[in-house]
Amino acid sequence: MNKLWIDERYCKGCLICIDACPTKAIRPSEKLNSKGYRLPIEENMALCKACEICVLMCPDFAIAVSEE
Amino acid sequence: MSNSHMLRPGSYYFQGNEACIEGAIMAGSRVYAGYPITPATEVMEAAARRFPQVGGRFIQMEDEISSACLLIGASWGGAKALTGTSSPGFSLMQEAISFGIISETPFVIVDVQRPGPGQGYITSGQEDVMQARWGHHGEGSLIALAPSSVQEMFDFTILAFNYAEQWRTPVILLADETVGHMRKRLKIPPLGEINIVNRKKPQEMGIRPEDYLPFGGSEVPLMANWGEGYNVNVVGLVHQPDGHVTRYSPELDYQCIDRKLRKIEDNVDKIAKIDTRFMADIEHLIICYGTPSRTALEAVMEAREEKGVPIGYLRLITLWPFPEGMLRKLIPQVDTIFVPEMNLGMMMHPIREALRDKAKRFVSIPSMGTLHSPDLILSKIYEELRK
Amino acid sequence: MKHPMLKYMKETGPCGDRLPTILCPGCGAGQVLNYTLHAVDQIIKEDKIAKERFLFISGIGCSSRLTTHYLNFDSAWTLHGRAPAVATGALLANPEFKIILFTGDGDVGAIGGNHFIHVCRRNLDMTILCMNNALYGMTGGQVAPTTPRGDYTTTTPYGNVENSFVLCKLAEVAGASYVARWTTAHPQQAIRSIKHGIRKKGTSFIEILSQCPVHAKKSAVEILRSYKTKTVKAKNAEKGDNRIPIGEFLDIEQPEWFESFQKIIDSFASEERKDQNE
Repeated sequence: MNKLWIDERYCKGCLICIDACPTKAIRPSEKLNSKGYRLPIEENMALCKACEICVLMCPDFAIAVSEE
Repeated sequence: MSNSHMLRPGSYYFQGNEACIEGAIMAGSRVYAGYPITPATEVMEAAARRFPQVGGRFIQMEDEISSACLLIGASWGGAKALTGTSSPGFSLMQEAISFGIISETPFVIVDVQRPGPGQGYITSGQEDVMQARWGHHGEGSLIALAPSSVQEMFDFTILAFNYAEQWRTPVILLADETVGHMRKRLKIPPLGEINIVNRKKPQEMGIRPEDYLPFGGSEVPLMANWGEGYNVNVVGLVHQPDGHVTRYSPELDYQCIDRKLRKIEDNVDKIAKIDTRFMADIEHLIICYGTPSRTALEAVMEAREEKGVPIGYLRLITLWPFPEGMLRKLIPQVDTIFVPEMNLGMMMHPIREALRDKAKRFVSIPSMGTLHSPDLILSKIYEELRK
Repeated sequence: MKHPMLKYMKETGPCGDRLPTILCPGCGAGQVLNYTLHAVDQIIKEDKIAKERFLFISGIGCSSRLTTHYLNFDSAWTLHGRAPAVATGALLANPEFKIILFTGDGDVGAIGGNHFIHVCRRNLDMTILCMNNALYGMTGGQVAPTTPRGDYTTTTPYGNVENSFVLCKLAEVAGASYVARWTTAHPQQAIRSIKHGIRKKGTSFIEILSQCPVHAKKSAVEILRSYKTKTVKAKNAEKGDNRIPIGEFLDIEQPEWFESFQKIIDSFASEERKDQNE
């Protein structure tokens, strides 16, 4: 199953990656982090195809996906 | 770099504006950008003819603003770059000069001054001498030189580039229409005899790109150029020594900017150049700069020989940084200090500020739009001495 | 694990950490930086071009903050509108630079208009990426030359009464060689255009409609979705279609400045040519 990695230092919770994901493998977290942002978390990584559209569209270089 | 088109050593007959370009070529300058303006256009036309001959690049830009901004890019790109303009164009270059000061970018601007303000006129003037030092917004200092002959248009352009590279600063060559359009003999020495200074690079000191500080590390920071693998981030915002720009504080502002001011002002004794004659046992003194120095020297010699007036002659070659300490050491107590300027009294201000207790009277001798005649200076001297 | 483009950025430096960027959450400029670094990465790998040859220059504004201190490349964060002039200077010193200009609609269309026109006219070899959010973002949302007629901004509180610039048409008429418009919602096309612009000799102008969620008062996701619906591929557009045309508008070959000037320099190296005064 592919692994999702979010850099909590850089992510600003803009949610562009979640909207862009074609298989809806990720969703916004219910909790706000210490900066007040909703970080993306795994919804169902079995759906993730590592297309890396999330990596492409992130404005803050805060997301990575590894194929496993 | 082609050497076959550089002038061979010897004696030539040159116009001042054109001599400036020969000096630039000798100093190793290979980038010129400019915009036409009287009385500086010949500087640009000479560059257009000569720079391609020696492997350099010339471009006529759409205005003076872009000409000056171009120098920033050319300098960090590794070239010695210059532009020539006159007073109205010089006003447009202040933003780029300001950027050059905070980013410590070496380049040379030749200002062939003319009367102002506004369109003013197209003859000679020295009305930008304050603007050169204070016209850019913000703090920080720079170096300004005042040539008075065709030979000095050549020599001081080389000196301007040397100072720019040595101190990592913009340097202004404050010429005027008189010396710009003057035609006289120019002596070109062999290239091996000319002292050329180049910027110090971190590669020479074995400093790795990760450790390189473009705006710190020494009194005059080392300068890596773009394209050398040093990933230099050039910035104009108040910054840390490594170019970091997002942690502003008043303390950072003070440290960042104060160093740039001190870099020049604390080294005034190494930078300033002064020429003195007839300084023994004087009761009066002429302090002059630029082309009026030619007339002032004539006037001093005539006053001494014909009327026995004990008057000395002091010429400022560098106007900025202003050499207050040097002047106070050189000048004894005198009765009157005369300052002939092609303006209504501009350098008179720092002169009076520095020497307030050294003379009883400070007398401006203005000449607007034209070079002083010896009679103008002499009549003012004799008039004051009669009082 | 980390984002693949972080290798091209300075996460930290001798004087401290530099990321996260100062950009607002969802800022289109951040996305354009991502697309640009992808394009540069592919060119470095495919064309075997040394990373040292790349040079990023910007003016002033949110889009121009991409260079500041984030890039692990040679860069300059210069004066408002003057980036094209600084870039021209860098090329005059070394024509080998691959220059990418980050600018905004105000930086290149208002204060920098004249310099932009003449860079295009000279067809200097650089790629101009204009992030168009149709207003001045950094200073709080004032009207810009690209703001649509009727829009309300802080300096048009009663509605904009001016026409808006079509920067792509300006680039074309001024003499650029490659002109394209995409949006931040078209990443693959934007990357392809940026790559083509960098490879192409001459001035490449790529306008990218880029969201400012703060001043538009909408979420980034909302604006990105609208970019898909309110734009149309120019070659598919029918007469009367009011949607914003996107795509590649111009792609021509014409003499580039340095190629032409080098011929003059070379003529002196071989001593063929005489000055007209001699």
